[in-house]
Amino acid sequence: MNALREQFVSEARELVQQAIDDLVAVEHEGFTIERIDRLFRTFHTLKGAAGVVELPAMSVTLHAAEDLLAAIHSGRLGITSTTVDQALACLDQVSQWVDEFEAHQSLRADAGQAARKTADRLRGLLPEHAAKSNRQSPRPVTNSATPEWALRLIEARRAQISGALQTTPAELFAVSYEPHVGCFFNGEDPLQLMRRIPNLLAFYVEAVETWPPRAELDPYACKLRLQALAVGTRAEISEIFRLVPDQVSIVDVSMDALRPQQSAPGTEGDATRLILAVIEEQRQVLRGSVRGQDFVGRVGAAARVAANALRSGQRADLAERIERAGAAAISDENVAGLASVLDAAVESLAQVPASIGDTHAGAGGHADSQAQQVDRTASHGLRVDESKIDALVNLAAELIVAKNGFAHLAKRLEGEIGGHELIRAVRREYGTIERLAGEMHSAILQLRMVPVSRVFRSFPRLVRDISQRLGKNVRLVTRGETTESDKVIIDRLFEPLLHLVRNSIDHGIETSEQRKAAKKPDAATLTMEASRQSDRFVVQVIDDGRGIDPAMIRLRAGERGLLSSDELAALSDQQVTDLIFSAGFSTATEVSDLSGRGVGLDAVKTAVEQIGGRVAVASRLGVGTQVRLDCPMNIAMSRIMVVETSGQVFGIPMDAVMETAHVPLDRINWFKSNPGFVLRDRIVPICSLARLMDLPERPASGPESRLVVVTEAGGKITALEVDAIRERLEVVLKPMQGLLANARGYSGTTLMGDGGVLLVLNLKEILP
Amino acid sequence: MSVRRDDNGTIILEGKCPVEDAEPLLQLLQAFPSAPLDWTRCNYLHTAVIQVVLATGAKPAGPCGDPWVEQWISSNLW
Repeated sequence: MNALREQFVSEARELVQQAIDDLVAVEHEGFTIERIDRLFRTFHTLKGAAGVVELPAMSVTLHAAEDLLAAIHSGRLGITSTTVDQALACLDQVSQWVDEFEAHQSLRADAGQAARKTADRLRGLLPEHAAKSNRQSPRPVTNSATPEWALRLIEARRAQISGALQTTPAELFAVSYEPHVGCFFNGEDPLQLMRRIPNLLAFYVEAVETWPPRAELDPYACKLRLQALAVGTRAEISEIFRLVPDQVSIVDVSMDALRPQQSAPGTEGDATRLILAVIEEQRQVLRGSVRGQDFVGRVGAAARVAANALRSGQRADLAERIERAGAAAISDENVAGLASVLDAAVESLAQVPASIGDTHAGAGGHADSQAQQVDRTASHGLRVDESKIDALVNLAAELIVAKNGFAHLAKRLEGEIGGHELIRAVRREYGTIERLAGEMHSAILQLRMVPVSRVFRSFPRLVRDISQRLGKNVRLVTRGETTESDKVIIDRLFEPLLHLVRNSIDHGIETSEQRKAAKKPDAATLTMEASRQSDRFVVQVIDDGRGIDPAMIRLRAGERGLLSSDELAALSDQQVTDLIFSAGFSTATEVSDLSGRGVGLDAVKTAVEQIGGRVAVASRLGVGTQVRLDCPMNIAMSRIMVVETSGQVFGIPMDAVMETAHVPLDRINWFKSNPGFVLRDRIVPICSLARLMDLPERPASGPESRLVVVTEAGGKITALEVDAIRERLEVVLKPMQGLLANARGYSGTTLMGDGGVLLVLNLKEILP
Repeated sequence: MSVRRDDNGTIILEGKCPVEDAEPLLQLLQAFPSAPLDWTRCNYLHTAVIQVVLATGAKPAGPCGDPWVEQWISSNLW
């Protein structure tokens, strides 16, 4: 995929998201002209972008959406949930096409059909659609009605057009003529008609479909679309095309469309980008040029094309320079000078933001070089492919591992030569490298930090759809959108959050009648809140619904045989509430198509635990429910404790370690056949790690006490008996790979300083 | 015939190029894909001939002898 296409994909996604945000906001917070303007601009920019990468289906659909917005803007059409639905459907379609385009570089063959369908649906909402019985009647000419192709022509010839209009006050027409495929056989010469247009201001010829390879070309099938912009009267232009009325469309161009900024938001950026692409092509042509018989032609053409492109972008100054350099290149038979002038032109153009999302700057303000300077320094940042950053993160992680090897080396030195000056020097250097490697690692991880708005922003739309389907009135509040966390964590939070939100709306939030009866405000409030609490990243989903009834949970848990009635009776209300996250628990009385898909909230718990997080729920009956996801800031580094048993070493995640203790034998009691001890009024069972790992047990840690690591996993507290506790490490955990990928009981491996591989235990899986 | 290939291998369009020239031009461009194309000496090009130039991506050297084409179409040959 070339850079232009890549940029299109990422920017189109951003634009789609922005449009969705605005649409949902329009529906909720009401209609403002600014908002509609912005929506219109977003759709228009998207459409322009689709044109640049040649996706006509997308342009057609977006064009219809633009018409709809124009009607809303002018007050001819009100905003209803139907209009918003259709506009959202259009964006869904576009977003699907963008995915398709990214995967296959093209759209499916039926895209055109789908586009027309979507466009027809959108147009069906327009008030004039019903009224328009006579196709011949001139359409009201508004700025937005100026078709894309006409805007493109205007853009390309803006200077000439405004010049011509100053001298001849007349009407401006855009003509698009698509001759029949067989027209050559009828003796027609379509360009002959174009040649007859008086006061032609702009002309553009393009293929109606991509040209086949040379070998398959049919010279007598006309596959051209001819477009022109001309000053004159409708009568005189219609006269020229009177024999082909079905193949031509003549459109009045309002003078509004000629005003640069308002008429065509985004096209300035698009035009710049096109010009840059054109110049880049010429640079390549020059690079391939060697002296030969076609040298003059190639260099001349390259210079001319680049100059024309720049003129169309009103950069006559650059164009002239290039023409001079081109002439010099031909006479000197040396392209170096021309190449460097082209480079300079590219640089100068690049100062005008080429991003299709940027419409605010560079719109014709070339004269003000100071302003350009400011623009350049105020650049937003660098767009870097995520995979490149991931590669960097991996490298930094490897460096940390290598650095740990240094510590091991220092220890060995100490053993071999004792307290020597050299060892102190090595330790000092090690300290420096450790600090630098650590700083580098965290700086690189910072690059992957993304704001939580990355997932939050999809929710207004989702909440709208879900609540509409369930017939509930829900207001979504998001807080702390700018809180940042590692992108891996943020991305993996989407599914669990979606599940929680669905669950809240489906089960937590009452119907309007129920809320009225409970004297609650009609609209329920669903809050999504992100915050940073010391080194944890916390996301909460809070609703003001009916809350969780512990009695109900007890009943369900009993029915589903999750726990015996004795066990249930022993649990506190909070512990009972936590049961909603157990596998096989679902309180929905009937299966709904939203949250009751047989996937319980345990899926949320699993997903969050996979990224090293914890889930907690708090609820008050009748008041609401609050689910808290407590996640690490990043998952790249984990802290582990290294323990030894039966001559083998294992890692235990520090997250799970509560404390370590020497338990005197006389404090160990036997409960049934299991050993245990009382720790702060709590009975903690003791498990031998050797036995858990099927290793030969040997009596260790002295006769009078046992060494244990008290751990907490999956809500259970267990003391793991080990032979020795070694160092604590900060490591990069690698997932189990290859043959071991499915081995249970391990959460990953890490390389130790001495080159050995350390297996890190997954306590939840090994503990009974 | 207003389309031919000269001794240097250049494909030349000359004078008025009618619709019938489209096919021989295409055949020449197919047979000699890298041959230079010279349209400086033609004074009128039929749409079908121009379509062949556009569709094959041929890059004619020099200004087109047909002034209308030179003004409005040459810049399309990017």
